[in-house]
Amino acid sequence: MARKELVEALRKIVGKTNVLDSLVDMQLYQYDAYLEERRPDAVVFVHSTEEVSGVVKVCNEHGAPFVPRGGGTNLSGGTIPARGGVVLEMIRMNKLLEVDKASLRARVQPGMFNLELGTALAPHGYQYMPDPASQKAATMGGNVAENSGGPHCFKYGVTTNHVMGMTVVLPDGEIAEIGGKAPDTPGYDLCGIFVGSEGTFGICTEVVVRIVRLSEGVKTMLAIYDSIERGSEAVSAIVAAGMVPATLEMMDQLVIQAVEQSIHCGLPLDCATVLIIEVDGLKDDLEEQCKAIADICTTHGAREVRVAKDDAERAMLWAGRRGAFGAVARLAPSYLVCDGTVPRTALPQVLRKVAEVGKKYDLKIPNVFHAGDGNLHPLILFDWRDKEQKIRVMKAGTEILELCVQLGGTISGEHGVGLEKMDAMKLCFSDADIRSQVALKRAVDPKDLANPGKMFPVTAEVACAV
Amino acid sequence: MPYDVTALRSRLEAIVGPDHVAAGTEANSPLAVDGVVPALSVRPGTQDEVSKVVAACSAAGAAMIPRGGGTAMGIGNRPSRADAVILLDRLDRVVEFDPANLCITVEAGVRLGALQEKIASDGEVLPIDPPDDEKVTMGGLVAANQSGPSRLLYGTARDFVLGMRVVLPDGERVHCGGRTIKNVSGYDMNKLFIKSFGTLGIVTEVTVKLLPAPVMRAGVVGLFPTLSQATAAVTRTLESFLLPEALDLLDPAAMDLLAPRLELGAPGGAHGVAVALAGSRSTVERQARDFETLFRAEGARVVPLPEARTVSAWSSIRNVFGLLPPAPSRVVCKISVPIDKGGAMLGAAGADGKALGLQTAVFAHAGSGVVWAAFVLGGRPSEETVTGLQRSLEALRQRAAAAGGSLVLCEAPPALKARMDAWGAPPPGLSVMKRIKSEYDPRALCSPGRYLGGM
Ligand SMILES: Cc1cc2nc3c(=O)[nH]c(=O)nc-3n(C[C@H](O)[C@H](O)[C@H](O)COP(=O)(O)OP(=O)(O)OC[C@H]3O[C@@H](n4cnc5c(N)ncnc54)[C@H](O)[C@@H]3O)c2cc1C
Repeated sequence: MARKELVEALRKIVGKTNVLDSLVDMQLYQYDAYLEERRPDAVVFVHSTEEVSGVVKVCNEHGAPFVPRGGGTNLSGGTIPARGGVVLEMIRMNKLLEVDKASLRARVQPGMFNLELGTALAPHGYQYMPDPASQKAATMGGNVAENSGGPHCFKYGVTTNHVMGMTVVLPDGEIAEIGGKAPDTPGYDLCGIFVGSEGTFGICTEVVVRIVRLSEGVKTMLAIYDSIERGSEAVSAIVAAGMVPATLEMMDQLVIQAVEQSIHCGLPLDCATVLIIEVDGLKDDLEEQCKAIADICTTHGAREVRVAKDDAERAMLWAGRRGAFGAVARLAPSYLVCDGTVPRTALPQVLRKVAEVGKKYDLKIPNVFHAGDGNLHPLILFDWRDKEQKIRVMKAGTEILELCVQLGGTISGEHGVGLEKMDAMKLCFSDADIRSQVALKRAVDPKDLANPGKMFPVTAEVACAV
Repeated sequence: MPYDVTALRSRLEAIVGPDHVAAGTEANSPLAVDGVVPALSVRPGTQDEVSKVVAACSAAGAAMIPRGGGTAMGIGNRPSRADAVILLDRLDRVVEFDPANLCITVEAGVRLGALQEKIASDGEVLPIDPPDDEKVTMGGLVAANQSGPSRLLYGTARDFVLGMRVVLPDGERVHCGGRTIKNVSGYDMNKLFIKSFGTLGIVTEVTVKLLPAPVMRAGVVGLFPTLSQATAAVTRTLESFLLPEALDLLDPAAMDLLAPRLELGAPGGAHGVAVALAGSRSTVERQARDFETLFRAEGARVVPLPEARTVSAWSSIRNVFGLLPPAPSRVVCKISVPIDKGGAMLGAAGADGKALGLQTAVFAHAGSGVVWAAFVLGGRPSEETVTGLQRSLEALRQRAAAAGGSLVLCEAPPALKARMDAWGAPPPGLSVMKRIKSEYDPRALCSPGRYLGGM
């Protein structure tokens, strides 16, 4: 039996106990933070680049698809083994290998959590900038594969701007070091195309990241609005005034209420929206910046602007923002996280239209988003047991993405395509555009074994497998 | 593969008009690529014409080499073929400037300098500052991922491109990315074409994100008696909270060239460290003070660059090789190493030049690990000189490689290119790169032979 032989061959590489194949175990690995499910044939715990390479070679010999899995927090079905096969559990490769302050780089294994890296760097006086709200449970490998963003990406850029090199196991099992501590490696930017490839170009087993000196000063403020439109106008006004805050985050009333119930961070329950604005850098002009931003917020209708008076208050605000997705789980048994982007100035318009979509499909849609980036996350609440409602949710989700594209934006700002948005790719790309992307997949993974069945509309995807 | 030049020429003339097709037969034509003279040059006027021109060349089996401002044409190996040079300078339209969203879309032939002028009127800036910015086109900037001193704080073209349009080697037009600052819809195709040097197709349109222009600029130059003092100042800077926009290290020869322009007095064989400061008045003034103190503590004589002179001073610094005799009588190479190895590489390159008796200048983007070295060979260098320089460059390359870096020849006379690969030993992942190349350009018609590994 093919599966039995596959499992035997895998055990030869990583040892018996590091391969799971029982039904219960397979059920544990059949889902992630998205809504669909599919069981793998085996799950393998890997501990080194060589083991990963060995496992991938076995998959090649058996024609078995393979899917790396980090924290499983991705919201697009990236870790669901769409065609079965082997899931590589990366979580044990979780060491910080090197902090090279002199060259401003750190080397980490992919199973390390984003927050763990931050915590490990802080005593050295350094930080790693991308900070997805899921940083407690999301791994560096997952961040790389999804090109994750986070609140501080408005000023500092997303994962791809901070990953300088990688060790990867390519889909045929070859190990390659791409990029590295030195800049501008000759040749195609393999590191650049690997970031955001959602596990479809192979497996990252080591990451070289840029580290940045901790800022000399940080100030965090909360602007409170009675109108969500005025709040989103203020976002554009702040940027138009030539300010580059570190973060420009927004939460609406439903989200604020949920957050207050679960975290109690002192947000006003009766307002329409809050903006969390942080400025950082040299301490000399932070006061000045805060004042200028507060003035703009007030001019644009803020009823109150509060500046966090100490680290504890700052931490509270961020706990509220980072806990927002979790808190919203209190509002309904399930929700679909939408992840579209629009040019920043289109925010007021798109928010109005999202509200209309909610009305049209009779669905509640709280909003929490990276406003500075024009990256919105409408959270469509529903009950997964209600089949008819789920259909309405999917329609509403698609409509919101269509809106984003119409307004000059795109279908995913940070959560990726995965299984969720394969068809939505057609909203923002022509057939030729998609063919050119499929060509890249074919070049890197000619046998279509690395996380297959993702990323492209089903029709295009068939062409992938030639 | 032989093809019919006359037939291709009339096809191209039908697409772009006879005025925009020329024979490229002159031996010293500036269109020659490392001495290889193309049979034709063609200047399409629209993106659609680029697509048709490429399709026509492709159908004829003619090798194509795109050309923007011509400032990076020296990078790479001698092409194995060059049938048609495709000039992109007529694609000079601004497609859309969206100041409120800090974003601009331009055709590939728009010059970086012209773009800066356009956006400056709205108080915005694209903080990418390679030399020759008045000549560099946006397409070329992207295709070569050119950068300058301010990559320290902001990164390179790779960090600013939001989207682009590309004509693939068969003439098909595709678009990558979009115009929002976050975008993970599908693969990050921008990265595939950035730094691909025209080997995977022709970039015809670029969308970049912009930044608000800083309220104030200033700079500080420190003149250090020794290299080790200068590198100590660099290290101290990187360890501090200070956030200079640029941090360049200049060897004594580069300082001699720059001294009159920067009004430094007699540099007296000193190494220089120059910082560019940008931001609000309070942060710039504070940093200027702190750098004066920091540099003095490491033994430097300090020359502040006042606000009024900062921009022109930095233009001189990044264009310092412009003060040397021009190509083809010189060799320019770019050495990329981990940040902490930059100072030693700068010293080694300068010492090599001296030992060979060649006029040499070396400077480094010291907080980024990029070292630029120029060696002047003169009109008719002796065989011995060329061999000597080749040996030195190969030794430098080995040293860079041992540190995990590279040395790339960016300008060199054909005599040297004939003996030395422009890129060095191919990096890991070459097999994937070759598969990518043959997937997009199966008949190797786009800038063939110029890239690494024979691609
Ligand atoms: C509450 C919550 C908040 C979130 N907030 C944000 C946010 O602010 N910003 C943001 O960008 N995202 C956010 N996300 C999405 C998610 O956390 C990110 O996509 C994250 O980077 C996924 O990391 P992970 O380790 O969980 O990856 P997984 O979900 O395990 O995997 C994601 C993808 O990466 C691939 N992969 C995993 N490891 C590797 C590897 N070593 N090599 C190659 N491919 C690999 C997988 O195959 C899969 O395709 C949020 C999610 C949740 C649940």
